[in-house]
Amino acid sequence: MPREAEPSLNEKQFIVQALGEKLRLDGREFDQYRPLELTFGDQYGVANVTLGKTRVLAKVSAEVTVPYVDRPLDGVFTIATELGPMASPAFEVGRPTETEVLLARLLEKTVRRSGALDTESLCLVAGQKCWSVRVDVHVLAHDGNLIDASCFAVVAALRHFRKPDTSIASGQLTVYTPAEREPVPLSWLHSPFCVTWSFFGDDGETTLLDATWAEEQVRVSSCTVSLNRHGEICQIAKLGGVPVEAVALLQCTAVALTKAKEFSTFLDGKLAEDAKRRNKGGFMAELSSENDR
Amino acid sequence: MATDTKSLYVLPGDAIDKSLVPRHKKQPLRLGPGLRHIPPSAIVPTTAGQLVVEPRKNSMWMEYNGGRYVPAQNDLVIGQVQRSAAELYLVNLAAHTASATLPQLAFEGATKKTRPQLAQGALVYARVVLANRHMDAELECVSAATGKAEGLGPLTGGMAFDVSLGLARRLLMARSRDEGGVEVLELLGAEGLAFETAVGRNGRVWVGSDSPKTIVLVGRALRETDEGRLDVEQQRKLVKRLVREMR
Repeated sequence: MPREAEPSLNEKQFIVQALGEKLRLDGREFDQYRPLELTFGDQYGVANVTLGKTRVLAKVSAEVTVPYVDRPLDGVFTIATELGPMASPAFEVGRPTETEVLLARLLEKTVRRSGALDTESLCLVAGQKCWSVRVDVHVLAHDGNLIDASCFAVVAALRHFRKPDTSIASGQLTVYTPAEREPVPLSWLHSPFCVTWSFFGDDGETTLLDATWAEEQVRVSSCTVSLNRHGEICQIAKLGGVPVEAVALLQCTAVALTKAKEFSTFLDGKLAEDAKRRNKGGFMAELSSENDR
Repeated sequence: MATDTKSLYVLPGDAIDKSLVPRHKKQPLRLGPGLRHIPPSAIVPTTAGQLVVEPRKNSMWMEYNGGRYVPAQNDLVIGQVQRSAAELYLVNLAAHTASATLPQLAFEGATKKTRPQLAQGALVYARVVLANRHMDAELECVSAATGKAEGLGPLTGGMAFDVSLGLARRLLMARSRDEGGVEVLELLGAEGLAFETAVGRNGRVWVGSDSPKTIVLVGRALRETDEGRLDVEQQRKLVKRLVREMR
């Protein structure tokens, strides 16, 4: 049976002592993220995010299905997270741990409830047919801060995804293959990002961004702020733990806005790079009838 | 790597050329870790790695960088105490593997009345006494011959870092710079940092010092040497850069 690998007493005491002297084990600043890398797959809708040693893969797929009975004008949008033994030997398949439940809830509140994806645009025939968009989040390696990495991966994958083009003629729905018509992007309203703060010390006076796994085991409290680059907050979750000063929380949200803007710029840059890579030469290259011999 | 050896990289099950096997008039051939003898005369590697041959001692073995630590006799390891059972401590050598046992009396100067009190999660520096694949490993914190600790025992304070098994082995070599290619700890000491270390063959290094800054520096140097697979020249540059950053 897998056991949570606990850090030793020496490690726990040292991490707290070092934080008291403003030192982090990897030499980062208290509000500095680990190097963030994002790669897209060849297929549309696959995003691979690496945050230090934490790795998350998000994959988006869509199929035509029947909408919910109580919402005939909306499509179906689900996010499925799975933490398996690949992420860490402490996780088992099929038995959700607390980490997994919290991750699923935070992603739900951040991306689904905030209306980042316009579900009305997924409706094809009212009450009969709609798109069901499903995001599968696979955590490949767990070294702390799964929430921020997973949320970033989900948003990146959804913005990268293209669904097949459709048309309706006299009640008949036609779904075109990618060869017949170019797939179309999803109707995206805003990009929310999660920023997780960890608190240390007896009163929670030391605050850190992007805790590694070892730091997560020692923290006394944590707070996740989800917001987009316009400063619109989707949710703030502080689930138990040591009480923290309200002023500190306000400062955290202010810094979280800066980080959300950085994430947004980074994601826009990567999407533009990917679009350029797929569409070399652009429109003129498609129209030209030159052969490269 | 010992001098005047032929070394090549092999995969498990590869056939080893008979001409590579050293011959000696008097000493029998000694096979080290990673090699298996299949009678009558076949020698087969069991892991992927570098085959090293030492003709003077008439021995051959494999150098490999494995993932999981397998206890071997007379290894020095850093274990984490999980819990205490009757007269025993159950000590964890590697994550998610069976525990090793450490008798509560196997410490220097321990009698039935005065035992060391180790809490759950404490670290100990111990030697492996018994290790085979059919039984749990057994440890001791005192040299059986002399009855003295000789550096073994509980480790207090400081910080434990995880390193790869290959780096741990090279740090423990007697001539770590020439044979192992690691000089990072000596270089850090030469820069004026005061610290002490205990290297466990199971991939953990304990660093103790009065100043947490020093410990963090040593930890970062070890991690970057390990992950970057730096050679001695690059380690020198790394140490200079880290010391400059910290000051």
